[in-house]
Amino acid sequence: MRNRRRRTYIAVGMCVGAVIAIVALIVVLSQNIQYFRTVSEAVANRHDTSQFRMAGAVVNGSVKPTTAGVDFKLTDGKATAEVIQHGNPPELFKDGAPVVCVGHWSQNGTFDSDQILIKHGNDYTPPVVKQPAASKQ
Amino acid sequence: MKASLGILGVALGASSAGLGICVLARGLWKHEDRWLIVGRRFVFGVLGAAIVAVAAMEWALLTHDFSLQYVAENNARGTPLLFTITGLWANLEGSILLWVLVLGGFLAFTAHKFRHRATDPLVAWANIVGLAVALFFFALMLGPANPFRTLSSPPLDGSGPNALLQDHPLMAFHPPLLYLGLVGFTIPFAFAVAALITGRFGEGWLADTRKATLIAWGCLTIGIILGAWWSYEVLGWGGFWAWDPVENAALLPWLTATAFLHSVIVQERRGMLRVWNLSLILSTFCLTILATFLTRSGVLNSVHSFTVSDIGPWLLVFLGVVAAASIGLIFWRGDRLRSPGKIDTPVSRESAFLVNNLLFAGLAFVVLLGTVFPLLAEALQGKQLSVGEPYFNRMTTPIALLLLFMMAIAPALPWRAATADVLRRRLLLPAYAGGATMLIALALGTRGITTVLAFGLGAFALGGIVRQFAVGARARRRAEGEGWPTATRHMIGANPRLYGGLVVHVGIVCIAVALASFSAFTVRREVSLARGGSATVSGYTITYLGNKTTSSAQKRSVSVELQIHHGGSDLGVYAPAISTFPGTSDGIGTPSVRTGLLRDVYLTLVSSPNQKGRITIGVDINAMVVWLWIGGFVIALGTLLALSPRVRRRVRPEPAPLADTPTPEPPPTREPEVVGV
Repeated sequence: MRNRRRRTYIAVGMCVGAVIAIVALIVVLSQNIQYFRTVSEAVANRHDTSQFRMAGAVVNGSVKPTTAGVDFKLTDGKATAEVIQHGNPPELFKDGAPVVCVGHWSQNGTFDSDQILIKHGNDYTPPVVKQPAASKQ
Repeated sequence: MKASLGILGVALGASSAGLGICVLARGLWKHEDRWLIVGRRFVFGVLGAAIVAVAAMEWALLTHDFSLQYVAENNARGTPLLFTITGLWANLEGSILLWVLVLGGFLAFTAHKFRHRATDPLVAWANIVGLAVALFFFALMLGPANPFRTLSSPPLDGSGPNALLQDHPLMAFHPPLLYLGLVGFTIPFAFAVAALITGRFGEGWLADTRKATLIAWGCLTIGIILGAWWSYEVLGWGGFWAWDPVENAALLPWLTATAFLHSVIVQERRGMLRVWNLSLILSTFCLTILATFLTRSGVLNSVHSFTVSDIGPWLLVFLGVVAAASIGLIFWRGDRLRSPGKIDTPVSRESAFLVNNLLFAGLAFVVLLGTVFPLLAEALQGKQLSVGEPYFNRMTTPIALLLLFMMAIAPALPWRAATADVLRRRLLLPAYAGGATMLIALALGTRGITTVLAFGLGAFALGGIVRQFAVGARARRRAEGEGWPTATRHMIGANPRLYGGLVVHVGIVCIAVALASFSAFTVRREVSLARGGSATVSGYTITYLGNKTTSSAQKRSVSVELQIHHGGSDLGVYAPAISTFPGTSDGIGTPSVRTGLLRDVYLTLVSSPNQKGRITIGVDINAMVVWLWIGGFVIALGTLLALSPRVRRRVRPEPAPLADTPTPEPPPTREPEVVGV
């Protein structure tokens, strides 16, 4: 009898533990999902101020170095966004470069980016970036 | 010529594997031992064929024979010798070649080991499974991943291996070791399937394949650590582990295999956890196939997805077949698998192993979910997303700390039941060591509960291990009148598996402490410098001396010379660089690292001199990274120790009871620590 009760306690305890673990897992997972959006998808979702990755190509002649980093325009051929990058861009950042910016929309409609990833071995490049050859303006 | 030789090798391998399966199957069907004895030999045919194919490829690489498409794509005349040889695994098709070579080696090793038991149906079935896996990979090379495709008009020069792969000699060791690890799990998998089919779950096969499992585990561990090292030395982002899908892919089978290595001890000792162990080994193999799929199919973009190919569906189908067969077999045999033993009390060695296993399985689940979630989301919702590093860090840290805690207490717990007295005697001192470490860490200004806990638990575990060694050696010394070194040697020789395992634990402590320090104390800064200018980051002064451009047939590099001063002493000149390789437009940064026992100064060239001559460099002060590599070395040492044969001494009976005594707990008059696994 005592044994059975103990087993019940253990079973209930394990179930509660498992439920807590799964809830924690789902919460942490959902907090850390970053969507990839092309510039036009991102522009269509401008109301969403959570962090995501925006993929596009740097508009030729739009790059302006600032004290904090660099300002430039990003396009996917259909839509264009103004990006304010905080921190130094990587070595291969230049006009026309296919890049992924990690950041979020700011209040005044510009994209605040903390990180620029270049199509480069160790950085993620979503397949969409490779397509917009029409981005040269 | 070379292409024909290579194709011949592949075809021979495939037919050896196919014929071997048929002959063995006939032998099993008709109960004719003759056929089983002959069938076994085909394993050596597979190995021979793989050697021929690999030799043909290496020959073609070394002679820069660009009529082979693979050579033209992964080699150039300017490629140095080392990277010409490693070109074998620079790309998908070549790595499948390496895969079959390693598999052939493992199969032949096992077939040789079981040469006197070739007529045993269990061994025959295991050979069939092994050959079937080999057949699949040979078939891949005959079909979608043919490494010996020829070009009708060979180019004058090849394009060379991917730039990232020809920058560091670690590339020569990381992939082969990883393959030795991943492929090696085919052996226990084959025996597990054979045991399920024949219905013989006696613990024999576990012990018999222990060596192959341990070799595979050791190679996988070292392969993963070398991969992290390569990433640290080459990729130049300052870290060594990014939860990249392909890194995770190698980690997943490691987690289940580590769980298996532990829980198998429970099965050997108590006959429990049979279904669990079989599931672990089957899922380890499935995860190695998943790893190949993730790495080689191009579904996930990562540092390793150098090739996009059409073998994805093949691997996915193979994975599906293996997984379905595994699950089916376990359900079919489920009723026969019921264990005779059961856990008596929650505070015992076996329940500690059980908790350890649940934690490892939980860890594997967390990593698996984060890794395949983007794939699932894209398949189900059509959305592209990625799972950020914080998910992995936040979910794995608590589990890892719990595992560290288990590692500290589990080796001290006796089998079946523990008494408070035994626990006090074995754990009090190490626990004090852990507590003191935490207090010291806090006093020295360490903040962050995770870091402090990791240090404390590390010291706790280390204290327990040191105590176990000391007590064992002391008992031996008293009983035999030997000196400390001799006593220690004999003690290890009498139970290499236990002490090898404990040495591996020491390596794990090193790695845990290194990870905790790295995440807590690392400082990173980006600074822009003009020539002659200097900047100070956490007490290290970096001065920009000048830059240099070098060109060779292999690459063109811009490097900057940076002098490091720390507290008035000159630490030397370091030169991070950016290199461009012919045939690619990408620049590859080469960091320059000043390694120290406590701190690394990690310098990267972020952007080369601009018109005004200013450069931007990244300065990372990384804490205790070298202990990761030291930990890896210690793990290798421990694995070798655990693999060494047990020394039986005939002169006198063992002074202390060893693993095989099934007595509950030795009388309290004697130090019972030597009781182990």
